[in-house]
Amino acid sequence: LKSIINPLDLNALETALRIKETNGDTAVYAITMGPPASEEALREARAMGVDDTYLLCDSKFAGADTYATSRTLAKALKSVGIFDLVLTGEKAIDGETGQVGPEVGVFMNVPVASYVTRIVDVKNGYIDIERESEIGRETWRIRFPCLLTITKEVNEPRLPTLSGKKKARRAKINQYNCEKLKSNPNEVGLKGSPTRVVRIGTPKVSREARIFDGPELKTGIKEVVKVLTNYLEVQH
Amino acid sequence: MPEVNTGTIPIKELKEIFGNRIKTDQDFLEKYSHDETAGLKGELPSAVIFPLDAEEISEVLKLANIYKFSVTPRGAGTGLSGGAIPNKDGVVISLEKMNNIVEFDDNNMMITVEPGVITDEIQKIADKHNLMYAGDPCSSDSSSIGGNIAENAGGNKVLKYGPTGHHVYSIEVVLPTGEIVTYGGKRLKDVTGLDMIHLLIGSEGILGVVTKITLRLIPKPKFTVALLVPFKTTKEAIAVVPKVLIDSGIMPSSLEFMDQSSIRSSCRFINTEFPYSDAGAHLIIEVEGNDKESVADIYEQLGDKCLEEGALEVFVADNRTTRERLWKARKSIAEALSAFSPIHCMEDVSVPMANIAELINESEKISRENELDMIAFGHAGDGNVHITFLKGKLGMEHWNKKLEKALTVLYELTSKLGGCITGEHGVGLKRKKYLSMTLDATQIELIRKIKGVFDPNNILNPGKIVDIISDKGKDRNYNE
Amino acid sequence: MKSNIMVLAELRENEVHSSTLELLGKSRELSRKLENSSVTVVALTTEELKETAINLLHKSGADKVLIATNENFKRFNFTYYLRVLEKISNNEKPRIILASATTTGRTIMPALAAALHTGLTADCTGLDIDDESGTLLQTRPAIGGNVIATIKTPNHFPQMATVRPKTFSPLTYNYEGFEKLEVISFTNDSIEDNMELLSFNSTDSSRKNVQDAQVVVSAGKGISNINNLELISELASLLNGAVGASRPLVDQKWLDYESQVGLSGHTVKPDVYIAAGISGAVQHIAGMQTSDFVISINKDKNAAIFEYSDIGLVGDATQILEEIIEELKNSKGERKNA
Repeated sequence: LKSIINPLDLNALETALRIKETNGDTAVYAITMGPPASEEALREARAMGVDDTYLLCDSKFAGADTYATSRTLAKALKSVGIFDLVLTGEKAIDGETGQVGPEVGVFMNVPVASYVTRIVDVKNGYIDIERESEIGRETWRIRFPCLLTITKEVNEPRLPTLSGKKKARRAKINQYNCEKLKSNPNEVGLKGSPTRVVRIGTPKVSREARIFDGPELKTGIKEVVKVLTNYLEVQH
Repeated sequence: MPEVNTGTIPIKELKEIFGNRIKTDQDFLEKYSHDETAGLKGELPSAVIFPLDAEEISEVLKLANIYKFSVTPRGAGTGLSGGAIPNKDGVVISLEKMNNIVEFDDNNMMITVEPGVITDEIQKIADKHNLMYAGDPCSSDSSSIGGNIAENAGGNKVLKYGPTGHHVYSIEVVLPTGEIVTYGGKRLKDVTGLDMIHLLIGSEGILGVVTKITLRLIPKPKFTVALLVPFKTTKEAIAVVPKVLIDSGIMPSSLEFMDQSSIRSSCRFINTEFPYSDAGAHLIIEVEGNDKESVADIYEQLGDKCLEEGALEVFVADNRTTRERLWKARKSIAEALSAFSPIHCMEDVSVPMANIAELINESEKISRENELDMIAFGHAGDGNVHITFLKGKLGMEHWNKKLEKALTVLYELTSKLGGCITGEHGVGLKRKKYLSMTLDATQIELIRKIKGVFDPNNILNPGKIVDIISDKGKDRNYNE
Repeated sequence: MKSNIMVLAELRENEVHSSTLELLGKSRELSRKLENSSVTVVALTTEELKETAINLLHKSGADKVLIATNENFKRFNFTYYLRVLEKISNNEKPRIILASATTTGRTIMPALAAALHTGLTADCTGLDIDDESGTLLQTRPAIGGNVIATIKTPNHFPQMATVRPKTFSPLTYNYEGFEKLEVISFTNDSIEDNMELLSFNSTDSSRKNVQDAQVVVSAGKGISNINNLELISELASLLNGAVGASRPLVDQKWLDYESQVGLSGHTVKPDVYIAAGISGAVQHIAGMQTSDFVISINKDKNAAIFEYSDIGLVGDATQILEEIIEELKNSKGERKNA
């Protein structure tokens, strides 16, 4: 069993390491795309017990949206090896959008289970997981290979040990640039991204607040009370 | 002069000054009748006032001298010795609303704040400017800087940076008689006259009300690494402390100790897991530096030393996320105690570093002999240990008796080891009757005389640290 | 060429979720700016939708309701959902696809975008059509900073966005457009059954939550002491409202995630939103800016939150809350006696 994680998400990492601990013949790889400073995160992953780490780093990768990021990650995964299980954080590399996991899943042509809150069982050929939706908790059996996006509830990530840290400090991080990955430069980074940020603005001021400060504060409180009185819950 | 003045409070005059910033209803007063000292129940004051500046405090103190009522200054109410507990029918001056940052002075690396500012706020501002405030009490997220000064709070970085008083360079203070004076300034050297700043710091609100504070900030170290080191037994953990300090040739910024029960209850409280929860004790050792590789060299060397000395494992937290996880567990012990063992007595005896092992071993004996449960945690690196007795299964009456006995023996032990009865929480009400176990009669009498000079009518926080009438021995009964 | 807008319906136990109606309302607005356009809503279900549900979708702005049925649509089966939506998208060739940013929407939309080789913008707080190019303008708060980014997908179609529930409003009138119903029974034997639902336990949703309350009282760092949370809950219960929180309070476990308002928490749209001691980071604003009336209390008169408020009180949150509660209690007493 081989699995891989996005090292920025410690819960996903912990999930992979626990699977490795309970399923003897497992190797865990960590892969991320980012600037050279991302090496830190990969070293931490290594210290926690990951077997090997990969950094996708190239100025050509800069400016990638989730589509281009996922495409590059999926391509790298294919060149690194064959994986049974790919784990990402619920909202990971891409900050708040949570899109990279499902997109990587599609590029790798594997099923995706999102919002995973518990790993129930790992067997030869499949994994049982619990996921949480707005209306309930579902248990799914998913055949390998597959991709899971992991929530914080799933576990408490471990702390790296001194011996892990020592190893990681001296470990080699595998680096992939665009050329080594044999990616078409037009399919990565900003060039390979369908979306464009066209404008950055400060949020539109949509209200004109009446501000009550200093001596006027009393009046303000009266105004607020006037508004709120309509919502008072009066016992019947 | 009475031990505590009980003159009529001129509510009408106070209302003229404070308007709706004076509170007299019972529910409200209850909140201000105690601090966070377990087992110490306070008396209801007559009123709580919320001044906005030194002048208002001055007016109250002048009235107090005329009408002879007692006044107790109070910060965030997180004290652990009853220092902010008011006298019956007295007035509480809450400094909560005086919580402005007065000035951030980049050029002099100083910050001037009002006493109600929460300590962490200062840290956050310093952090934004790549500086650091080196005071770090465990309660930094809830205690106020004014309270830190009144108690000369210690905390987790005393080993390297000293207690709160080390960082204070100027204070504005309202004297008990109402005068407003400023001591010190933004200067690192000052031997003009007596060192009044450090007489006032740690004076537990009996000599004046601090209304403005200038603190020195220092450059923030670029890299901080915390090690979490579990040991099989408390004894082994404690034995490593001097070795780490002496042999490794570096000064950690923190060296904290937590026994098994403290770490377990804290983890339960904040809903987290720690590795080696069955270990007898954990140390947290934190080191700092500006060069990443040299900091790594240092922690590797330190970690190896710990392993050599029998550590079960060494965990490394070198980024913000993991470091905060470690410290959260350490800093939540006191809160967890209040939640899971509300009836307890947390001590903060302070002994020379080399004697901590003996202190803890003997304390365990004391608790066994008195049928008390005990947990221990604290600042191993500076010799300040929170020996904490828990009621456990004892009945209330039994607990009070046994505790009193245990405390006396503990304090005797502390003296024998060259220590003192309180290292950072203060004497307050809680340890007043034990003061003579650290100070002799001449020393205590001198405190009374100094109090008399500052506060001739004995109106400001009377009954804390010492009683003003020497021979009465009418000490408040702990846990009454 | 027709410029269809396609909305993926969010169904909960075969009932249409309110967020779908909000998206339909927005779609009608967008449709007016696109020539010759219509709005299609796609519902994936095990059996056909009830007549009332179909009518509701039409009334709320759908020109066409497209129902795809398959036994695997009872719960969100990633593989089946992806395949059917891929197929429908290829047939319908919509110009725009919108979905609610729910656990389902946030998973299937990125997958579908990757499958259709196009872009996707998550958690949009605003949608519009660019007058010149006719492309979709998507606004969302940008990560980390106090900025709003406008994002466009200049050369790829369909143009895809997810939107948090409660961001837009449903139509205030009954839409009477071209009504069409199409039901396809989706069978695709070539789909590999690579995931199987073993069990489902529904969660109890009886508890009063921030998303449904008429009044939300939210606390931020400015309340400074965990004990002051009592004031927040007291005010909330006086007003029969819910307690909300900004992210820092949830991070330090003062309140649980269910209370979190903002980009990484819930989006709320109450009648009255009270922000006590919240400075107004853009992530928080994103979760509450559509509230009808906003009252904020902050010590710092320059706090960003005031720009999104109808009434701003400058001062210590604890003290002001105490006074408001006191006055409300008084007037409650009066009303009771009256």
